[in-house]
Amino acid sequence: MLSPKRVKYRKKQRGTRDGVAHRGNYLAFGEFGLIAVEPKWITNRQIEAARIAMTRHIKRGGKVWIRIFPDMPFTKKPAETRQGNGKGSPEGWVAVVKTGAVMFEMGGVQEDLAREALQLAASKLPIKTKFIMRREVE
Amino acid sequence: MKDTNLTGTLRTEDFGSAGSRRVLAAGRIPAVIYGKKESVHITLDAKDFQNKMRYFSESTLLTIKVGRKSHSVLMKDYQENVMRGQIQHIDFFEVTKGETLRTRVPVVLHGNPDGAKFGGVLEQVTHDVEVECVPSALPEHFTVDVTKLGLNESVLVGQLVLPEGVKVLTHADVTIANVKGVKEVVSAPETEEAEVATVGADSAAE
Repeated sequence: MLSPKRVKYRKKQRGTRDGVAHRGNYLAFGEFGLIAVEPKWITNRQIEAARIAMTRHIKRGGKVWIRIFPDMPFTKKPAETRQGNGKGSPEGWVAVVKTGAVMFEMGGVQEDLAREALQLAASKLPIKTKFIMRREVE
Repeated sequence: MKDTNLTGTLRTEDFGSAGSRRVLAAGRIPAVIYGKKESVHITLDAKDFQNKMRYFSESTLLTIKVGRKSHSVLMKDYQENVMRGQIQHIDFFEVTKGETLRTRVPVVLHGNPDGAKFGGVLEQVTHDVEVECVPSALPEHFTVDVTKLGLNESVLVGQLVLPEGVKVLTHADVTIANVKGVKEVVSAPETEEAEVATVGADSAAE
């Protein structure tokens, strides 16, 4: 599963997910992509589930790019704990996804197969998504 | 049917972001023509432009009629709201006859590579190349035949067949497309990543 190799600080403040993605909001590698229609934290487990769903569907053909990386640690306090006593301990990793961010890209496959595969990937994610493709001149 | 003629209306007032929103709401797209001496602000019919846009690329010579004046332009850039599928602004670049210009020309791949029969996947690495030429010699796109491309072979910019008078500025060694064998992707075993990732200055803090 995706996670940073090493980090400078174990815990991070939560930040905000306001606004739209100004970086990573275009297709950089493949012909097809999946963009986020709403902002959310995407966990590394969800990214992995989406990746597996996609790659299994396209079998051996095509190539998949993951454009988001879970570099943000999230913390949790133990169950049945009173408030106070500081921030909880790190529980996992999330990618901060803003509206309009291209999360996955795909290339080397036909459009209908890419649509199906990215639809399967979208069903593994906790957000609404949209299929996009590179503008082709007819 | 390819139609490269557009009709624009001169935009003399209602500038700024609020003005642009009003223009968009009225079914028009704000645009600018960057000329050699001066820039002209115009608006275009949104529906008409989006229909015609399917047939032209960044290297298609367009003619925009604004009032009595006609401008020969290239579409340099456009801003799009991906969520709505709405074009919000267009930048046109006026070209002068006989004067060399620099622009990007798309590269279109044609055919199924031989390497695909042996499990290879065709990947287009470069989607457009920078060229220098006079407007009349500007190609709409370069077509690259990839049918003879075997496994682990690639097509480079230097192998492009160029029309007369066109000079490619992108380095000749840049890869346009390649056919690569697909590796079996094996998911890494789950490790205690939290422990691995906390090699840091504040790890000793607790």
